[in-house]
Amino acid sequence: MGSRASTLLRDEEIEEIKKETGFSHSQITRLYSRFTSLDKGENGTLSREDFQRIPELAINPLGDRIINAFFPEGEDQVNFRGFMRTLAHFRPIEDNEKSKDQNGPEPLNSRSNKLHFAFRLYDLDKDDKISRDELLQVLRMMVGVNISDEQLGSIADRTIQEADQDGDCAISFAEFVKVLEKVDVEQKMSIRFLH
Amino acid sequence: MACLSSAHLSADPHLASLLPLSHSEGCLHGLQANAPRVSETTREQRWGEPGGITAAPPATAQEVHPLSKQHHNHSAEGHPKPRKAFPVLGIDYSHVRIPFEISLWILLACLMKMGFHVMSSVSKVVPESCLLIVVGLLVGGLIKAVGEKPPILKSDIFFLFLLPPIILDAGYFLPLRQFTENLGTILIFAVVGTLWNAFFLGGLMYAVCQIGGSGLNHIGLLANLLFGSIISAVDPVAVLAVFEEIHINELLHILVFGESLLNDAVTVVLYHLFEEFANFEQVTIIDIILGFLSFFVVSLGGVFVGVIYGLIAAFTSRFTSNIRVIEPLFVFLYSYMAYLSAELFHLSGIMALIASGVVMRPYVEANISHKSHTTIKYFLKMWSSVSETLIFIFLGVSTVAGQHYWNWTFVISTLLFCLIARVLGVLVLTWFINKFRIVKLTPKDQFIIAYGGLRGAIAFSLCYLLDYEHFNMRDMFLTAIITVIFFTVFVQGMTIRPLVDLLAVKKKQETKRSINEEIHTQFLDHLLTGIEDICGHYGHHHWKDKLNRFNKKYVKKCLIAGERSKEPQLIAFYHKMEMKQAIELVESGGLGKIPSTISAVSIQNISPKTLPVDRIVPTLSKDREEEIRKILRINLQKTRQRLRSYNRHTLVADPYEEAWNQMVLRRQKMRQADRQNAYLTVPAHKIDSPTMSRARIGSDPLAYEPKPDSENLPIITIDPASPQSPESVDLPNEVPKGCGGLPPSPEEDEEGLVMRPKEPSSPGTDDVFTPGTSDSPSSQRMLRCLSDPGPRQEPEEGEPFIPKGQ
Repeated sequence: MGSRASTLLRDEEIEEIKKETGFSHSQITRLYSRFTSLDKGENGTLSREDFQRIPELAINPLGDRIINAFFPEGEDQVNFRGFMRTLAHFRPIEDNEKSKDQNGPEPLNSRSNKLHFAFRLYDLDKDDKISRDELLQVLRMMVGVNISDEQLGSIADRTIQEADQDGDCAISFAEFVKVLEKVDVEQKMSIRFLH
Repeated sequence: MACLSSAHLSADPHLASLLPLSHSEGCLHGLQANAPRVSETTREQRWGEPGGITAAPPATAQEVHPLSKQHHNHSAEGHPKPRKAFPVLGIDYSHVRIPFEISLWILLACLMKMGFHVMSSVSKVVPESCLLIVVGLLVGGLIKAVGEKPPILKSDIFFLFLLPPIILDAGYFLPLRQFTENLGTILIFAVVGTLWNAFFLGGLMYAVCQIGGSGLNHIGLLANLLFGSIISAVDPVAVLAVFEEIHINELLHILVFGESLLNDAVTVVLYHLFEEFANFEQVTIIDIILGFLSFFVVSLGGVFVGVIYGLIAAFTSRFTSNIRVIEPLFVFLYSYMAYLSAELFHLSGIMALIASGVVMRPYVEANISHKSHTTIKYFLKMWSSVSETLIFIFLGVSTVAGQHYWNWTFVISTLLFCLIARVLGVLVLTWFINKFRIVKLTPKDQFIIAYGGLRGAIAFSLCYLLDYEHFNMRDMFLTAIITVIFFTVFVQGMTIRPLVDLLAVKKKQETKRSINEEIHTQFLDHLLTGIEDICGHYGHHHWKDKLNRFNKKYVKKCLIAGERSKEPQLIAFYHKMEMKQAIELVESGGLGKIPSTISAVSIQNISPKTLPVDRIVPTLSKDREEEIRKILRINLQKTRQRLRSYNRHTLVADPYEEAWNQMVLRRQKMRQADRQNAYLTVPAHKIDSPTMSRARIGSDPLAYEPKPDSENLPIITIDPASPQSPESVDLPNEVPKGCGGLPPSPEEDEEGLVMRPKEPSSPGTDDVFTPGTSDSPSSQRMLRCLSDPGPRQEPEEGEPFIPKGQ
């Protein structure tokens, strides 16, 4: 990766990203090199094709949805800031962050934001609810083609029934959070970005 | 005369042998002279017998007498043995001594366990292991008081018989997810922690020995290091026993417990190393390197052996569909063989056992029947429970029985340094580990980990194995070890529970995993794998995903029978959950708790072919009913002769299945009652009789049967090992079969999950099913007749199963 003048990361940018996402300097640099290696078009932004070029992502059942999560509403390109912003959700929660609670805006990698990120992957139509159909779609993606619709339907129904508390036959964000309260989300949704 | 006497002698060779004197006199002549006297005396002897034969004076007559009578007398050299009466009652203790004593001990252990639960007030304060040791002490004291020598816990028995069940139980039910997530931490604690403990303790004890006075000076460095390595290992039995009762959160439990399991490799290597070299004062660098190498061989070799046996067991279980009753035995035997094979090569048996349990479990569970699964679970729990109890009791007994050599300095310093070593080790290691963990270990966690480092019977047995002539301080070691064990089990074991409460350590959450959690966890797994791929970061998720893919693509196909190999994990989980819930429902006896969605949709099968959701139950016309009754009446005659054949190899339907089926019927009845108008001729109460409803359905051309080629998993399946029960239902399937229906194809794939009567013998008990009807035996026969007339009913297809309504 030679240095492309237009896409070199300036120090001020690094600082801004650091403030926004909480990544360390070395982590940002390392992720930047990854960003540029993915960026085949060398224009400083990633398109959907760039992501799809990653082989493992192609066989991931949730591959498309994950890719979509990187792109803000309606856009087709994501720059490094946006890339980092999305990845910031997966930063491990550190102890010193847990203490400075309500001072500023909630950090991107808080438990609530992590869960929100996951919730948005389910909720495609962004109505703040996971409906039966959306759940069915996700189940279908995860389970493969051998299972019949009725079977999946029953699982989906059971799932909604377990989680649903206000009786609207859909899972709202609050219910989603409640269902996952026993799961160690801080550990499950964190990637150890090595220094 | 001569010929007579010789004839005599020849006829009575035994007589001759009786009187060696006469023989030794040598010449026949002398004998001949004696012979008549001999015959006289024998005749007299014989007269002495009660009811003896009267010897006729002529010698020839004597010849005729059966020799056997004379044999009787021969035992007593010349003394008459009174003929005993045939013993009606006799005692022969030595014959059964060993099994008898073993059984007595096991019985004692079980009674103790029972007793503790009766005295619940005591067991709330004192952990069971302490009570058991006390019992052992008492029993040992009793035996000693009586004058007998109380048995010591022999190392062979411990390592070969008492330890494996506990380890297998732990390994088979190891919570794999947490274990692998924390594997790094566990390994560091197990390997580095144990090494640190061993060397620290050994070194310090050597120093103490040097300073400690005359009694201790002769103990060399290596002997001390050996002692250190024996005592430094955290004991899985003790940890299990204590932690089981305090219900601590899963992370801490798996950390301490995992450490206790994995440190076996280290202990084995250190033990053998120091035992070999303890008598040489010099340890060369080569030895150290070899020791290091041997650590890898021991641990990885043990795991390798375990994996091999696990795969073989999984493969075997693929073919066990016809001999369901011995399925659990395969699991036990292969695991035990893994343990023994590893021990054979001085590899780590514990790691082999764990590896085999972990490897075989997912495949075996997919292949075996539900009943076998339950059997395995309960047998493992039973054996491990009894083993644990026995171990603790024997610890107590051995304390009384063993020879002790109490040396204040040695013992107290051992105790002290053990504790210090443990605390220091945990602190330092946690500081190091926390740099790499996502979820750090808090000081509270560290305290519990340090405090949970209990020592137990493994240390005792290892010490006992030491050769007396090379290690004459063995008694002192033993005493010290027992003191440490007692201290950790009693003091630490008793106080850990209030401490856990005091420090408000997170406890284990008792609730079961819900389907939501399962789905979302898998979802998050996929999500994280994707993100890791985007970052180019090959972390935990990436490799787990790769392993899962490999597993699904290649391994599952080989090791899992039939269609279940394609079953996604989610579906398997869902089915298990449904099954559990159904069983609970039956046990609670109620219907109302089933959420409506389950009943509505759980009968759907997985086949992509569309099925009629609504089961069509035609209303019976009057004539049809009469027809049915006629058929029943006629066929009743035929089946009365059929006896229930007893078959040792198949299981009889059990009451829970009956209750389940009855519940199913009741539910279906209710629904039918809603939907149907009253039958014309049949009075209302008769509609509800199970017999009639079966009759109704039996005559139904849409008889229900397990759909043959669905690759499925009926949501609730009744175990195929009870083939004779016609009431066993294959609930989810409602494929119309029969006159115009789909040809039932052989269901080999489904063997694991589907009922098939194997013999046309009459079905299982029916009492639960038809309460109140007077003709319960005939009702089951009626069902058989119902199954008979069907056009395509081949015997192996089965009788019309009672469908579960919708």
